[in-house]
Amino acid sequence: MIRFENVTVEYPNGVRALNDVNIHIGKGDFVFVVGPTGSGKSTLLKLVYREVAPTRGTVLLDGEDVGALKPAQVPYLRRKLGIVFQDFKLLPQKNVWENLAFAMRVIGKHPREIRRRISEVLDLVGLCHRCDAFPHQMSGGEQQRAAIARALVNYPTVLLADEPTGNLDPDTSWEIMQLLDQINTHGTTVLVATHDNQIVDRMKKRVIQLEAGYVVRDQQRGVYQHTALAEDLRCGA
Amino acid sequence: MGLRNVEYMIQEAFTGIRRNGLMAFASVTTIALSLGVLGTFALLALAANRFVLSRVNQFEIAVFIEGKTLADIEPALKQIRGIPGVVDLKVRDRKKEWEAFKRDRPDFESAGVPLDVLPFAIDVKVSDPSRIAQIAAKIRLINGVDRVNESKELVDRILAVLRVIKVLSIAGVLVLLGTTALIISNAIRLTLYARRLEIKIMQLVGATNQFIRLPLVIEGVVLGAVGAILAWFFLTLGGKYVALMAEKIVFLGRISSGVGRAELACGLVVVGAMIGAAGSFVSIRRFLHD
Repeated sequence: MIRFENVTVEYPNGVRALNDVNIHIGKGDFVFVVGPTGSGKSTLLKLVYREVAPTRGTVLLDGEDVGALKPAQVPYLRRKLGIVFQDFKLLPQKNVWENLAFAMRVIGKHPREIRRRISEVLDLVGLCHRCDAFPHQMSGGEQQRAAIARALVNYPTVLLADEPTGNLDPDTSWEIMQLLDQINTHGTTVLVATHDNQIVDRMKKRVIQLEAGYVVRDQQRGVYQHTALAEDLRCGA
Repeated sequence: MGLRNVEYMIQEAFTGIRRNGLMAFASVTTIALSLGVLGTFALLALAANRFVLSRVNQFEIAVFIEGKTLADIEPALKQIRGIPGVVDLKVRDRKKEWEAFKRDRPDFESAGVPLDVLPFAIDVKVSDPSRIAQIAAKIRLINGVDRVNESKELVDRILAVLRVIKVLSIAGVLVLLGTTALIISNAIRLTLYARRLEIKIMQLVGATNQFIRLPLVIEGVVLGAVGAILAWFFLTLGGKYVALMAEKIVFLGRISSGVGRAELACGLVVVGAMIGAAGSFVSIRRFLHD
């Protein structure tokens, strides 16, 4: 499904965000990408939705070389993905229903299909009763549910979540993770970048640990932990 | 792109204007002010041009042809009419001319000089004042023509002034047009900056650049046109006031740019809409590539 082959990312300011990363994520997998701030978690996700292109190496999504896409092809790649952010990125001037409809209209979906799909997705995330609410009228958890609903409206094969619980309390974070787990059981591949150790330890999913741009651990049913290698890398070994 | 999408984009453009009211107001005001300055300059330049041209157009070539009767000079008149650039000619009343002449030189009448000693005086109107000298030279070659007076020096001087006004006004309009485009583009950039989250989200959910750009370009067109209508309103009011003032100054008389209200409105709306569209297009282009 997603394959990183010898991927290195170096930003124009000289910062090396990822170093020779090799990862394979299968269809329907649920993967946590963990590591401290600046370890390269967000860059790894950005490579998948082509916000960033690899400096070296290849990123493949369903066999397609994402890094080689022309700018005009990037929107079509993103239609296969759902993206969720820590700060929700909901349009403040649109209510929940309009935020979801917006994501479908911009890719040319028919109004009838939009109405049907939005009801379905709002039902899934438990926000039917809040469809008229504007982001500022909602709690953090509700906003994140709305953001997940928006990420799901276009039937993505992959859901990318960058620190989705970063702004939420532990109980709400757990609810959001349960929701992502539920989405994963429907066959959607879920990739979550987080440094929320409690969630990772509780979920017992595959964990890919990054330290200073290196993959230092890739473990099935893993937990959030720091390794000795990570400490070495951090010390500049 | 389907009709549904176009309809959606137009709807989005108007929703965008409504929801970003303050920024839209700032853009419209900037566009109105910029177009107002541009329009004022262009209208004043046109009025100055017209004023000088009207003075030049009053110049005619005075041709004197010898002959006893009108029939004698008819072949020469026919030839003059045939010269390209000659619009009209008028033979002055010889009796009136004679009366005037007698007032100046009473000794001629007492000496018994007959009326037909005076040559016929003909005023020749030309289509383009800059060709006066050229046409006068051709008239001189016609058989029977005694004298041609085309006030060459004065016409040349006025034409030179006209040329300077033309060059200055074209240069001024171009500079102001460029400045207006820059100001408007900046104002639109600010509105886009305020909406960068919206643009980012559109990109993240897979909207094509064209889909992001079109509603914003439509917005630019609408804001440009509304700004132009405001500018037109102020220019029309200001124009009336200036014309009233000018009429009080004797030597100016009635001045006008010669541009009708409808023409001015159409011109401003077209320029406003075009600058709005171009400003949006360029700003979004930069935004999408950032």
